[in-house]
Amino acid sequence: MRTVLHADLGRIAYGPALALQRRLHALRREGWIPDVVLSLEHTPVITIGRQGDEGHILAPPEELARHEVEVYPVERGGDVTYHGPGQLVLYPILHLREAGLDLHRYVWNLEEVMIRAARRFGVEADRRPGFPGAWHGSGKLGSVGVHVRGWVTLHGLALNVDLHPDLFPLIVPCGIAGARAVSLSTLVGRPVSVAAARDAALAAFADVFGANLLPVDGEVVARWTG
Amino acid sequence: MGRKEDVVDIVVPELGEVEEVKLVRWLKAVGEEVEAGEAVAEVEADKAVFVIEAPSTGILAEAHVSEGGSTRPGEIIGRVKPG
Repeated sequence: MRTVLHADLGRIAYGPALALQRRLHALRREGWIPDVVLSLEHTPVITIGRQGDEGHILAPPEELARHEVEVYPVERGGDVTYHGPGQLVLYPILHLREAGLDLHRYVWNLEEVMIRAARRFGVEADRRPGFPGAWHGSGKLGSVGVHVRGWVTLHGLALNVDLHPDLFPLIVPCGIAGARAVSLSTLVGRPVSVAAARDAALAAFADVFGANLLPVDGEVVARWTG
Repeated sequence: MGRKEDVVDIVVPELGEVEEVKLVRWLKAVGEEVEAGEAVAEVEADKAVFVIEAPSTGILAEAHVSEGGSTRPGEIIGRVKPG
């Protein structure tokens, strides 16, 4: 079983989390550190992937400013997406070759982590061919967006646990007109905490990736990267 | 040097059950110098961006797929003339 370090970063703004991911990615590529998975919740942010269309941000800049929503163009795949409180994010920094994974299988695994995590709360999510993510009917429960360089991954998955209903409508999810975000809490019928969802997702991650997760302090991880 | 055999192919790697990828963008222009391991292009499939790196140091001599065009694993998307 492979050991994967796990660090929880709590609630963190997008910029510092991205900088940390990029530094960990460089260290992982050079072989200085083993695989790492970061868990966190972002402060409100809209990110625009490589296939992104800024026209899919529906809210005018004043409204984004009023909600203190940052906007970042990023190197991951996909269109625009929203991250914010009430959403669990996992950023695995994994060496796919060393883990015996190809790109397609990796994305499938990330979807599987979200599907199994939802199942632990009695919710049956599934895949939608051609639209990566975890779906419940026409509702998008979770997203994937990945960047791979030197066979090492950045970015990852975002599972809607208990999103503020006012914020997700700021965008067209993944550029799919008519798609709407749905939270695990709504499907379960009671509030689910991000911490509970994180525990479920990490257990699913360990199963799906055949990994032994070893907890490390987020501040320790930040120190490795200077 | 100068013969066609001297150029090194830039190939989209095998990515698993992925038949087609989109060439998102070239990070280098034809005629530009590249170093081995330097990022030259990005392809995307399944919401995943995969960076293709230069196979050797030299000049990006050919780009066979335009930005926004589709390509597939195993296909040669360009060539580097070592130097």
